[in-house]
Amino acid sequence: MKSLLCFALLLLAGLPIYAQDFSFAGITHEEIELKNTVIDSNANAIVLREFGTASMEQSPGDGRLVIAYRYHVRLKIFNKQGYEQANISIPQRIYNDVPDQLSELKAVTINYTEGQFKQSQLDPKKVFNEKVSKYTANTKFTLPNIMDGSIIEYSYTLHIPYIFNFKSWNFQADIPKLHSQYIASIPALYNYNVVLRGVLKLKDTKAELSKECLRINGTQIDCSKMTYTMENIPAFIEEEHMTAPTNFISAIYFELSDYAMLSGGKVNVTKTWKNVDNELTSDRSFGAQMKKKDAFKELMPEILKNTTDDLSKAQAIYNYIAKNIKSNGYIGIYSETAVKKALESHSGNTGDINLALISAFSAADLDAEALILSTRNNGELNKLFPVISNFNYVVVKLNIGEKSYLLDASVPLLPFGMLPLHCMNGQGRVINLKKPSYWYDISSGQKDYIRYNLTATLAKDGKIKGQLVTYSTGYSAFQKRKGIESAGTIAEYVEKLDEKMPKISITNHEISNVDSVNLPLVEKYELLIDSYDGDGLAQIFFNPFFIDRILKNPFNLSERTYPVDLGTASERRVTIILNVPEDYTMSDQPKDMSIGLPDNGGRYLTSTNFSDHTISFSQFLQLNKPIYDPSEYFSLKEFYSQIIQNQKTDIILKKAK
Amino acid sequence: MNKLLLLLLMLLTGISSFSQSSYSVDKIPASLKINANSVIRDMETTVEMKGIDQVLISVKKVVTVWNKNGDARAELALHYDKSTSIQRIKGQMLNAFGVLTYKFSQSDFSDESAVSNGSLYVDYRLKYYVPRVFSYPYTIVYEYELRNKQNLILPDWYPNPHPDQSVESNKYVFITKPEDEIRIKENNYPGKAEVLRTEKTKSYTWQLSNQSAMKKEPFAPDPDDYKTSIKIAAKQFSYYGYKGSYQNWEALGKWVYDDLIKNRQQLPESTIQEVKAMVSGINDDREKAKKIYEYVQKKTRYISVQIGIGGFQPMPAAEVQQLAYGDCKALVNYTQTLLKSVGIPSLYCVVNAGSARKDIDLDFASMDQGNHIILAVPLKTDTVWLECTSSESPFGFLGDFTEDRTVFACTPDGGKILRTPKLTTEMNLQRRKASLNIDTLGNITGSLKTIYSGAQYDHDNNLIDLPVSDQLKRLKSSYDIDHISFSDFKISQDKSDTPSTSAAFSFDIQKYAARNQQLFYLELNLFNKSSVVPEVKNRTLKVYINRGYTDEDELTYLLPKDFKLEALPKNKHINSAFGSYSATILLEGRTLIYKRKMILKDGTYPAEQYQDFSTFINDINAADHSRVIYKL
Repeated sequence: MKSLLCFALLLLAGLPIYAQDFSFAGITHEEIELKNTVIDSNANAIVLREFGTASMEQSPGDGRLVIAYRYHVRLKIFNKQGYEQANISIPQRIYNDVPDQLSELKAVTINYTEGQFKQSQLDPKKVFNEKVSKYTANTKFTLPNIMDGSIIEYSYTLHIPYIFNFKSWNFQADIPKLHSQYIASIPALYNYNVVLRGVLKLKDTKAELSKECLRINGTQIDCSKMTYTMENIPAFIEEEHMTAPTNFISAIYFELSDYAMLSGGKVNVTKTWKNVDNELTSDRSFGAQMKKKDAFKELMPEILKNTTDDLSKAQAIYNYIAKNIKSNGYIGIYSETAVKKALESHSGNTGDINLALISAFSAADLDAEALILSTRNNGELNKLFPVISNFNYVVVKLNIGEKSYLLDASVPLLPFGMLPLHCMNGQGRVINLKKPSYWYDISSGQKDYIRYNLTATLAKDGKIKGQLVTYSTGYSAFQKRKGIESAGTIAEYVEKLDEKMPKISITNHEISNVDSVNLPLVEKYELLIDSYDGDGLAQIFFNPFFIDRILKNPFNLSERTYPVDLGTASERRVTIILNVPEDYTMSDQPKDMSIGLPDNGGRYLTSTNFSDHTISFSQFLQLNKPIYDPSEYFSLKEFYSQIIQNQKTDIILKKAK
Repeated sequence: MNKLLLLLLMLLTGISSFSQSSYSVDKIPASLKINANSVIRDMETTVEMKGIDQVLISVKKVVTVWNKNGDARAELALHYDKSTSIQRIKGQMLNAFGVLTYKFSQSDFSDESAVSNGSLYVDYRLKYYVPRVFSYPYTIVYEYELRNKQNLILPDWYPNPHPDQSVESNKYVFITKPEDEIRIKENNYPGKAEVLRTEKTKSYTWQLSNQSAMKKEPFAPDPDDYKTSIKIAAKQFSYYGYKGSYQNWEALGKWVYDDLIKNRQQLPESTIQEVKAMVSGINDDREKAKKIYEYVQKKTRYISVQIGIGGFQPMPAAEVQQLAYGDCKALVNYTQTLLKSVGIPSLYCVVNAGSARKDIDLDFASMDQGNHIILAVPLKTDTVWLECTSSESPFGFLGDFTEDRTVFACTPDGGKILRTPKLTTEMNLQRRKASLNIDTLGNITGSLKTIYSGAQYDHDNNLIDLPVSDQLKRLKSSYDIDHISFSDFKISQDKSDTPSTSAAFSFDIQKYAARNQQLFYLELNLFNKSSVVPEVKNRTLKVYINRGYTDEDELTYLLPKDFKLEALPKNKHINSAFGSYSATILLEGRTLIYKRKMILKDGTYPAEQYQDFSTFINDINAADHSRVIYKL
């Protein structure tokens, strides 16, 4: 008897790892009864259980190693808003024309009506395979007979031919989950770095040794079996002014760090920055492209004509590259077509363009390094160990004397030393051909700044005539230049501007430095403003905040979970000098204000003065940080609220009796 | 040897540059550069209908692009599916002098699925090309050939589709066999088609030359009102193995019913019994139809799958019964079948849906004019119209998606043109009442109730059935006032014959009346400010207002005790051809009643009146910002 029991236990231990999966369509009474009051009463649907395993297998066909991923989920739909959860799309990647292989797909809807369970199976003929593009395919289906309270369940297996990124697992989704469990079974030959993202905590992690789980060419290999469990997971909700959701969604990621070969010896895939430095600097599509001095040797004398010092040389080279190699729309840290070819065809990806810039700088004996980064959409970087596939963009760090400039020649209209907004994502890693790499803070290089100066005269009939001059730098100037470019001509740009302002007409204009991107963009407008109707009124109301007015509070949420990421610091200044008719005096004015955000986060000042029939008004708004903590959200909200309050009030002029 | 090769290369490039230089940009007339981001230099589309299941389409297209805004016009996207194959594509990029920069071919095109967000699956795909651009201006040359295995849908010709694109020359040639019968619709075509007969063919040629670009104008009418187009339909046709013939709506409707719908209307006996039981005891057909419509709404959901003939043919009714989902065709056919089982006839109607109304062309029958199906139920006294894809729509209510336009009904007696009922300016009503108390600090507490009807009925539909926290979040974006907070949000819908939605909430707004030294500024129109329209100069197109509406707001303020009035805005009345506006203020003691009424009439107005229109709207905008100023 005893020995029999022992045998049974052994059998259990020998069962494949998906033994812990829950039974398909084995619905419990609690699940039928479950209402959307657990976790989140706002939920339209909820995942009841979710179970996944990933392990390595030898492909029966060609004997190559593949990742076998099994997924099984049961979810409950509470109401109509949740019906879309019954439309399922299983994405598959395609590597070199080999797609992930989907098999063993089954799906069912279970309804409990009039005291009876009714199952509606998915008809295999209603499963659609959609080849989305060269790189992705989707298997899509929808479940039949969906009604309020339906439980749906499906499972499938994917064989993934690419083992470098072990299948990641998202604990968090757009609906809440009661229970989510993932078992990764990794052969001892392979060593992965494991990263848990997001703020939620795992309920349980278990690591076990699973003996002889894989057999390769007759050799038995042990696996470490990792079990990750999370429970009562709230839905992920995106908020405004936020970088990539993948930065915040609770998930687990694996990246191959090294593997042992059966013949002995170890191959480091990604381990230390030293390795990465070596690999990158010797890579044909990276380091080698930073050394293409020869490509520029003959061009240099022409490019550097009229330059004097290092800075002017650098600017000339930057302008040359920006003008001569246009972005083909693709980004990446590697050169796609090689610097020489990009130069010939005048087209390349970010890698081609910015690595060409480095080569050109070194041809002129300037000290330039590559700064690789992850764009705002791509998510935050892992600083603990190098995960090279997380970097998706490269820019140039140019060092002249003590000063460093960050440059991106792939985005037109940027001034020298300014990076586009999509690069503003914390730190990047500087890759130097000779020295070890290091982390470096990414800053936009130029403040987002606009200054408005209005000098005008108010006539008795209510017409204001005067000149408005604005100076813009940073992203504001960049945006305006893009606006002018897309309008076609300056005249059309101004015409559109004029059309948008019903009571203001632009009678004359002059915009300078449109092409000199390193200088502030200067706009001069002669304006005619209809401020009120009627002649000789006893009182005149004049709102000085009509320039750059803040109409809505950008921070109007009642709660905030994630940081507010504005990308860059900004500053706005308005000065108005307004001559008023001689028989009027100022009887009231907006409060002079001086308020600030905690921790020197920002300031807002206004002041109004009246003397010699002239109103002098000034307004100053400064936000000093690119990123504000969620805890600062309400200070920002209140700060803007006070500004809006003040901007509602007028200067009142009274006629002298 | 090397030198020889070089010489040969130079010669070759020399030759090619010579042959291409006819597309040098300096040959473009000055008049075609005004307002243009790109120019169609030379385009020729030849469609040869060799047989009902063999239509060859060959296109040559040469476009010059002046600047970045024109880049999209240099891209090419070609759809294909089981009945359309791409035979060949090639192209060239030329520089400003018309000299070849590079060539490309089919392998440079990306190939993608064309499934849009609204569909689960469709079987057509697209190949597209985005050229590499080095400098402006440039010229792109495409040559491609498609083969259609059907002739039910023949290519339309829109020679100047984009306002920012001028046309040097665009030509359309349609070739048939002499005995083929075709119908042609020439829309705003100046002149007549040139017809050429040979023994084996008959060809028609249309051409448009030297058309200038134009500025985009807001409130413009349907482009078909003023743009040139040619549409062609063949009498004998084939489509995914189905064959037929038609020359008018009657015959086309007959074919659709007989070949695509009729055999899709079977239901299991058990379902028929269930439906009969459901309506037993009800005598009135209208009530029966309502009961069945509500049954469909509860049971089904909208899922779109379009494969082959499935683009025109509904899923069988029995399958909808079994799966509880379907697209517009399937759900209309299913509802129609259910109605039929209790003896109520109804009509399967093809409509061009969208907020901008578009008629089915009375004079020209063709298969591709609609994009949606609705159901008409003719009763003794009137016709009830049903939108079968919505689980929320009131019985008999179409909304702005399909109201007031001609539709094409497919019936056993053939096709018929019907018209859906109009939602008028008076019906599209938003009526709001609010009471607001202002304290001595300028804080407001109050409550508001709005009733929406007509085309405004579904104004707040996206709030229904949402969790409370989401409702409050969305209210914040529709009533985006600083420091506003909401409570007690209630929404209910009256789904009777004149449906309306009623939405009510309480709110408070901290420091709404802004204080400045002594004075408080109170903007009276809190919730319904009209926006501005651009003041376009030199308007060329008629002014088109797609849908009229009426808004009535009544806000009753209780001002703080002991307030002293400093300034009160004047009452405002504006009358115009486009509608009317009035804003009146009545102050009695501490009670101030602000009433606003705005009527915008739908219709088409002459281009010269655009200035009046923008003045009308912009004056309203200014009046909507008027303020009361008081002291405490």
